[in-house]
Amino acid sequence: MAKIEIENVYKIFGDNPEAALARAMAGEGKDEIHSDTGHTVGLHDITLSMEESKTFVVMGLSGSGKSTLIRHINRLIEPTAGRIVVDGVDVLTLNDADLRQFRRTKMAMVFQRFGLFPHRTVIHNVAYGLEMQGVEKRHRQDKAAEWIETVGLAGYENSYPSQLSGGMQQRVGLARALCGDPEVLLMDEAFSALDPLIRSGMQDQLIELQEKLHKTIVFITHDLDEALKLGDKIAILKDGRLSQVGKPEEILLEPADDYVAAFVRDVNRARVLTVDVVMRPPSLRLTTENIDAALREMQGHRDDFGYVFDGDDFRGVITERHLRRAATTNGNSSVYDLADDSQTVTADSVLEEALPTILQSDTPVAVVNNDGEFRGVVSKRELIRVLTEHREEPDEAAQEPKRTGP
Amino acid sequence: MRMSITAMAGAAVLALANIQPAAAADCGRVTIADMNWASAEFAAYIDKIILETGYGCEVELVPGDTMPTSTSMMEKSEPDIAPELWINAARTALDRAVAEGRLIYAAEILKDGGVEGWWIPEYLAAEHPEIKTVEDALKRKDLFKNPEDPDRGAFYGCPAGWNCQLTTANLFRAYKGEEMGFELIDPGSAAGLDGSISKAYERKQPWIGYYWAPTWILGKYPMVKLDFAVPHDKEHWNSCTALAECDNPKMNSWPKSEVYTVVTPRFAKSSPEGMAYLKKRGWSNKVANEVLAYMSDNQYTGEDGARYFLEKYPELWKNWVSADVAAKVKKAL
Amino acid sequence: MADSNWLIEFPALSRDTLRLLQRSIDETFREFSRSYGQALEDFFEPLLWFMIWFERLLLNAPWWLVIAVIASCAYLASRNWKMTIGVIAAFLAIGIFGMWEDTMRTVSIITVCTLLAIVIGIPIGVMMARYDRAQATITPVLDVMQTMPSFVYLIPVVMLLGIGRVPGVIAVIIYAIPPVIRLTNLGIRLVDKDVLEAANAFGADFKQRLFGVQIPLAMPNIMAGVNQTIMMSLAMVVIASMIGVKGLGQPVLKAITNQYFSMGLFNGLAIVAIAIVFDRVSQAYGHRIQKHRQVGH
Ligand SMILES: Nc1ncnc2c1ncn2[C@@H]1O[C@H](COP(=O)(O)OP(=O)(O)OP(=O)(O)O)[C@@H](O)[C@H]1O
Ligand SMILES: [Mg+2]
Repeated sequence: MAKIEIENVYKIFGDNPEAALARAMAGEGKDEIHSDTGHTVGLHDITLSMEESKTFVVMGLSGSGKSTLIRHINRLIEPTAGRIVVDGVDVLTLNDADLRQFRRTKMAMVFQRFGLFPHRTVIHNVAYGLEMQGVEKRHRQDKAAEWIETVGLAGYENSYPSQLSGGMQQRVGLARALCGDPEVLLMDEAFSALDPLIRSGMQDQLIELQEKLHKTIVFITHDLDEALKLGDKIAILKDGRLSQVGKPEEILLEPADDYVAAFVRDVNRARVLTVDVVMRPPSLRLTTENIDAALREMQGHRDDFGYVFDGDDFRGVITERHLRRAATTNGNSSVYDLADDSQTVTADSVLEEALPTILQSDTPVAVVNNDGEFRGVVSKRELIRVLTEHREEPDEAAQEPKRTGP
Repeated sequence: MRMSITAMAGAAVLALANIQPAAAADCGRVTIADMNWASAEFAAYIDKIILETGYGCEVELVPGDTMPTSTSMMEKSEPDIAPELWINAARTALDRAVAEGRLIYAAEILKDGGVEGWWIPEYLAAEHPEIKTVEDALKRKDLFKNPEDPDRGAFYGCPAGWNCQLTTANLFRAYKGEEMGFELIDPGSAAGLDGSISKAYERKQPWIGYYWAPTWILGKYPMVKLDFAVPHDKEHWNSCTALAECDNPKMNSWPKSEVYTVVTPRFAKSSPEGMAYLKKRGWSNKVANEVLAYMSDNQYTGEDGARYFLEKYPELWKNWVSADVAAKVKKAL
Repeated sequence: MADSNWLIEFPALSRDTLRLLQRSIDETFREFSRSYGQALEDFFEPLLWFMIWFERLLLNAPWWLVIAVIASCAYLASRNWKMTIGVIAAFLAIGIFGMWEDTMRTVSIITVCTLLAIVIGIPIGVMMARYDRAQATITPVLDVMQTMPSFVYLIPVVMLLGIGRVPGVIAVIIYAIPPVIRLTNLGIRLVDKDVLEAANAFGADFKQRLFGVQIPLAMPNIMAGVNQTIMMSLAMVVIASMIGVKGLGQPVLKAITNQYFSMGLFNGLAIVAIAIVFDRVSQAYGHRIQKHRQVGH
């Protein structure tokens, strides 16, 4: 079961949300309802499910309802309709005391404008969550000190937030959220106020932490690059409605509508997409050691190259020309030995890294995973298509033309 | 206590300067000083009503105060009548003006004169008939308990800065108030003093302190004046009781303040009937207190007070005028 | 036309109706004072004893001890030697000019007024910040308290409680408490929403929010309110002396009625000196408890 389930949530801002809710449910748009009733539709029929230990990114333009959505999860905002279930518990059924307990133990939040307590020193800020949990003072100070060190702020324990730079303040915010050891981390545009360099540093730090901590993270951003970098799954909001939910590459390669497409247009795909997204199965697998058998097989195929396997072991790529030359000079050498395995790329490297190898190679390059196992191949043409033709469906990719002989 | 009020009458002088001399043939036009305290106010209106309706005068009220009005009357014969002039405030100048024929004392308007003294509420006097004199009262610190110090009695003195503060303090020493266990409390202001009386009265609590008549307070909250047991010793008064430096104050009592109606000779000459009326016109403090209390209760002006008086005390004012004048006035009411 | 008279003359209530109205208001108040005056007096009695005790304490203690205590309060609050020396000098001067007793009385009543104003005012301000309804109802009351001429409420207060310290304190507080209330309310409302949201997100309850976040962050405003309240109490000292409150106000009043220029000046200056001492010390204290504000980037 998912960690967090959001089911058909509507949020209407205004004095009389019920009336506006009926209109929203009937399908009227945000602008229409606003000009008629003065009520703002914050969220419109949102259903989402967020997996445990994954980073779920919510994206959208300013005013699309991202902050509203994330605040529903810890019930800082009450929905007008719908359900929010965390760990099987309907958050809306909690009474005040239970809700406080839930906020103290289950989740912690990192804010766009940091939301630090200006009158508390760094260490007291970080220890706040534990203080709310009622942890004894010495223990919480120790814990806070550890986290301060983890986020790289050792030595600043007794500074006040106003003495720190923005990036440092957000590290405090992060440490404060993590210090209470929450299961869920809610991050509302946590890095948006930081300048690009610090921001990317913070993203790296978050990724690094997440590799160890495996928290369920809900991350809000309006920056697609950030979403693609951090998200295991991305939801895109527009005017309070869900435009699309999916894995980063799905969003990138199969935008559901113009809004999403506009989002993804300017993304540097080479930096975001990994090799496995563009890789496909090899057109020809050669499993024989014998040159003549291999040649015969190749001639019956439109490609003039093949990928050589010894059982499951990938031995390399071999071209028809190479085979012929070998047949005339050294007829009984093994195809396994002739195959060239010098040019491979790893499946999880981004295209930008794989680009030189692929472009220099005459044949589609073999893709292997980190253990060296063969996963597929990636061709120059496919690569260029993905990097340039935004709206094309990858499945309809044109076939690699058969290489003509010399 | 009048002296403190006289200090604030600069405006009245300016007002007086604007008045044209009246052509006072056959009563004609008469100006009456309308002093800025309530008892003089209703007196002025009584005169206005009677002189207008009974004698056909054309009366104009002009604002006034003790010093500026008496000065103006002496120097410029304006206004014609000052119904209630407290003589002590300007005694020497007034006496000389009367001697020189520039002014005439018509009569005492307050038959009892202005009275200052130490008082207790009527209900308390009824309850404790044994308390008659100042000394009787000062024996009862248990009765006049000070709420801020229950071991001692509270004696409400005269507000700081008023002349009566000195006299009260000296008399308090002379009658050994402190030794008898009383604290002389400074009420701070007339409002404070009045407030302490009305609070005590509403709840029928004991109260002892300084006050004066005629005043609306004594009309509304009738009080009994305590006997100082000695007559006024003028010489000691002037050399000690009334001074800030009075090392060895002796028992003494307040003199009565003379309060006269003062007129200009021109008025006396031009309107002998009016003058005859003024010579008879006057009342006791009890009546004055009563009218003042009525005015204060209803937040009435001097004119309302005058009408009230004329309606309530016909047997009094009918003695001042001839029968036909009385009829005219009565008709006009 | 008699009918259209009201177009020209304002259709006011007739004099008799008005008079009846006034009388009945007065009578109701008297009735109230008769029935509840004593109960009110009893209610305020502990306050009265405290004030008497405190005033005697100041009056009976040796002058150098009082100065030493005041100076150490000033030092503890401000951690500033210059200010402490200034305070000592001010009180020495007051003593030398023969105003020690009156000054002690005034200091005692101002201290009590300030403490009461804080104890009553801050909770009211907190309530106003929490409930818009409370703000809507209390704000006009504060407006009335601040603008109504003091004498208007002095009379009923004296009718209820007589003259002396308690009614004096009440009159002073009516006049001087609004700034604490207003600025507490304002200060709490101005607390950064993000910070408050953070406290909420971490599961802070009402008390933790109030004492851990809102009040500390509203402190500069609250202290400004306290400071204004002290100043306004001191300004009321003269008015309070009109209902028998002892202290520096009485000589000032005496000076006013008799036009004793120098007497008024000395006592007035003593009030100013106390005001400056209270003001500077409370401001320095407010500043000092706001450590985090003094450190910039
Ligand atoms: N308390 C509120 N009262 C009324 N309307 C609100 C309230 N909070 C949010 N809204 C409206 O709801 C919509 C969504 O706001 P929200 O803050 O969730 O947007 P966002 O996606 O977080 O934007 P941003 O990127 O600017 O933070 C907006 O139209 C906003 O005006
Ligand atoms: Mg937002």
